[in-house]
Amino acid sequence: MYLLLTKRLTRSLWRTKIRLVAVLLIIMVGVFAGIAFGHYAHTATTMYDEIYADSEDGVNLPDIWVENPRAVWSGNQSDSFCEQISTQWPESELVLNECESRLILDGMLSIEEDGMTKLIPAIWHGIDEGYVDRVWMPVDDCCSGRLASADDEIVLDAHVTEGMEMKIGDTISIGAGHGMMDFTIVGTGYHSNHLFFAVPGSLVPAGAGTFTTGYLSSSGLERLANFSSGSSNHLLIDLVGTPDYDLLSTDEVEGAELVELIVGIRTTMEGVSSTAIVYDRSGISSVEFLRADAEGAMKSYPVITGMIVIVAGITIFLSLQRLIQSQAKEIAVLRTLGIPRSAIMPGYILAPLGIGMVGTIFGVILGLTLGAPGMQAVYENLIGIPVINGSVPYSSIAQIILITMLIVMFSGIRPAWQAANLDPLDVFRGQNEVRLTSRTIQKLTARLPTTIGLTIRSSTRKPIRLAFTFFAVGLSMLILGSMLFMMESMEQMMVQGFEDNQNWNSQAFILPDAEDGVIDWAESNGVDFELYILYPANPEGDSRQLMTIGLDEFATSGEDAMLTLSLAEGGYPTAGESTTQVLIDNGIAHFLGWGVGEVQSISFGSQNVEIKIVGITDGEISRTVYFHRSDLAEIVGFEATSVLLNIPEGVSSEGLGEVSVGIVEKQDILDAFTDLMEKQQGFFIAIQFLGIIIAFVVLFNTLIMNLSERDSELATLRVLGAPISRLSRMMLGEHFAIGLIGGVLGTIFSIIGTKWLMSKMVQWSFYFEIHADLGISLGLTAIVLVISLLLTPIGTYRIKRMNLVEKVKEFSN
Amino acid sequence: MSTQLLEINGLERHYEMVSGTVKALDGVDLKINAGDRILLLGPSGSGKTTLLNCIAALDSPTSGTYTFEGEKVPQNNTEGMTTFRRENIGYIFQFFNLLQDLTVLENILLIQELSGGRDEKRARELLLLVGLEDEIERFPTEISGGQQQRVAIARSLAKSPKLLLGDELTGNLDSTTSAMVMEVLVEACKTENITTVMVSHDESLSKYANRVIRLDSGRIVADNNL
Repeated sequence: MYLLLTKRLTRSLWRTKIRLVAVLLIIMVGVFAGIAFGHYAHTATTMYDEIYADSEDGVNLPDIWVENPRAVWSGNQSDSFCEQISTQWPESELVLNECESRLILDGMLSIEEDGMTKLIPAIWHGIDEGYVDRVWMPVDDCCSGRLASADDEIVLDAHVTEGMEMKIGDTISIGAGHGMMDFTIVGTGYHSNHLFFAVPGSLVPAGAGTFTTGYLSSSGLERLANFSSGSSNHLLIDLVGTPDYDLLSTDEVEGAELVELIVGIRTTMEGVSSTAIVYDRSGISSVEFLRADAEGAMKSYPVITGMIVIVAGITIFLSLQRLIQSQAKEIAVLRTLGIPRSAIMPGYILAPLGIGMVGTIFGVILGLTLGAPGMQAVYENLIGIPVINGSVPYSSIAQIILITMLIVMFSGIRPAWQAANLDPLDVFRGQNEVRLTSRTIQKLTARLPTTIGLTIRSSTRKPIRLAFTFFAVGLSMLILGSMLFMMESMEQMMVQGFEDNQNWNSQAFILPDAEDGVIDWAESNGVDFELYILYPANPEGDSRQLMTIGLDEFATSGEDAMLTLSLAEGGYPTAGESTTQVLIDNGIAHFLGWGVGEVQSISFGSQNVEIKIVGITDGEISRTVYFHRSDLAEIVGFEATSVLLNIPEGVSSEGLGEVSVGIVEKQDILDAFTDLMEKQQGFFIAIQFLGIIIAFVVLFNTLIMNLSERDSELATLRVLGAPISRLSRMMLGEHFAIGLIGGVLGTIFSIIGTKWLMSKMVQWSFYFEIHADLGISLGLTAIVLVISLLLTPIGTYRIKRMNLVEKVKEFSN
Repeated sequence: MSTQLLEINGLERHYEMVSGTVKALDGVDLKINAGDRILLLGPSGSGKTTLLNCIAALDSPTSGTYTFEGEKVPQNNTEGMTTFRRENIGYIFQFFNLLQDLTVLENILLIQELSGGRDEKRARELLLLVGLEDEIERFPTEISGGQQQRVAIARSLAKSPKLLLGDELTGNLDSTTSAMVMEVLVEACKTENITTVMVSHDESLSKYANRVIRLDSGRIVADNNL
């Protein structure tokens, strides 16, 4: 009996093929997206874990960095500091494994481009084959050669060799503030600090020919910079094992022991080098970016999968309800003939499971063949490193299948219960079909022309179905809208904001106290300039790093200042006050709860400085405190870290390279963002397409159900002579109303949802606010509206195909 | 002498079934004059509903001719047939088929609007004619079956059809209510000067007709003026 009843249900479902395919499509898309995004998340996590691991294949990332941003220690000093750190090791379960000194310097790479010499900003690391923080040279096409051993050899970052088409054996000319020298490329590889290859402080991958990193032997870098043997500005401290560390993305302190250890080492360093700053891996932007990317992907893929599968669940739920309604008489007959409820129910639970299983199988096949490789390519494209041993874990697939099948099963329970509990008498009396709009709607529409009144009443006849539909449309709009809102907000902040707020076109980096050369160059070439300080600091008692910026001019518009700010609250700081006045960005205000008028303290190494907050800016992705440059110079002990220049057209930058350690062009930064957007375009379009397809399927399902429910109404009107054109207009009106309401609600849902999602995703090193762009909001509403309107011809076609003779026969039954 | 309203000659309607061809109508010849009140009687499967569907231009005959007021009635042309119905035919269903979301009055207004002219005054007059002037703001679910059928009659008259067709229109009503509905229908059609063709199994409805046509196996076997 069960088998026959289930077979009968299967046949009934097959009669609604188009809707069945629509439901299968959403389930398939949900599983596909889950596997694709899951693969990205697992790849990002695995890569992060394996690359930085303390293993043969990993680079053995240090656990603590001690950095001197202002000066270079001599070899003796470095050794002595490591010794002191070891002897003054605080009481801790964490055990020191290694303390290595390292020299890392800003510099430049000189290349010939279109007959001109171009100086590309660079970071050079002096790395001998040490134990900690090695160059990562995986067995892959990306990397080859060996480490630099002679003092004229260099391993160039694989991002650079690939982007600039350089190869082993090439000779390149590089500098680090002390003239240019030739080095031979002997290898290509990656470094932990530059896996996400961006100019420090930037979240946009550097474009080819705009940034370089290279790994020299220690002696090679000392020779290049004219430093004595053993010079360093970093101490890399490795502990036994990999301790927990404080995650920037949470309020909890995950690595309390490491935090205590850092405080202890900071105390040790205070006595010997007051300018030293101490931090854990969260202070290395590339490492933190990869961690945040993996964490974000891990958090978001179940959400995206869940959202799509919930939409599928809603669609199944609504479809089954409609099916039960159309089968009510059959069920009533079966019940009257004595078939128990328990025999009716299983079919309605098994049906969605069957549908779910078929959709899942297709989803898994597509996910593994297209989704996972596609997302792996996205990762390789975005991060610019090859994925080693990329595979989709079976546990992840099993998890996605389980979630999908559970949601699908739950979506069938309520309809199954309804089917089993139909009262045969109600059904025979037709009571189960009576669905009326509310009295309020009837009253509100009483004075309208009857056709319009009927349109409105028909649209609102099934408020629960409509509510579920709007919710599902909202979810699909969230998938589409979140992507659009995020991209727009990021573009506004990173391109528009950057383009509008920066009145310089070149930034010349200098060694501390070496600004005079650039100033002389600017003055002799009639170039406007402004000195600029960028220096790391921490909120006092907080290991999270922020950047302090020293500006001469504060302005929100115009061209007086090289860098204009977007002031959200308060006013400009005044220089030379007893308590240094500053502006903070809204990210700091958000995470630390600091506000205008408050006095707070931030640490520059071991030096704590009280600051008075006089204003809050917005538009910064990284945490930033703006000082008057004169105030900041007094704190850090030098006048500038770079000079912002506005070089007029026709003025050559020749000679600027010789007085600086690297030049960044504003246009290169803008190009890098454009390049990033282009690289990701396929991915973003795919996600947006996904959202539109899902919204289409959801609306299609509901509107077709609405129509099929009204078959008898429409047939009656047709028999009575209603022209198709009038019925089509009524339907158009109904679809317009549903599309408009669904679009507006979906857009509101999308805005609120995106803001909520973003509030969960933002973290100390990556903060931005979603702005509900009017154009995008209208666009989202229009998409739903258009989808809804596009379904009118399908309804019209359905009415045209209606066999009125058969319908009249049905009326008589 | 009455004017001829429609003429059917050699009308056949065949259906291709798995078991072979079924001749639902097998050469029907029929003339209907304006003012006729015809009752089509016959056993199940005799072809009366098929004939009614062909007269209503809901169905197209397999062969034969059908003219209405001397004009050929469109066949196999959905919109042409719809226009013909809109301009000439009123139809009453067995199960009333009122739109549940509309009030009694609105059910009539809707047909007027879809036919191109809303006329609330006439709609109210029609409801007065069928004795439902006090129920105009009520919904179909709030009135009895007989009342619903009277609304359906008023609705079918709303656009002043030349021919009113009814398929088992009392089939869902008890005998007392049936009688009441039929009286209302006859009275209304007289007042509005509308020709009627009713299909029924119920011989007792003959008293409301002035002509009874009997069908069997797709053919007219008797045609009697009363």
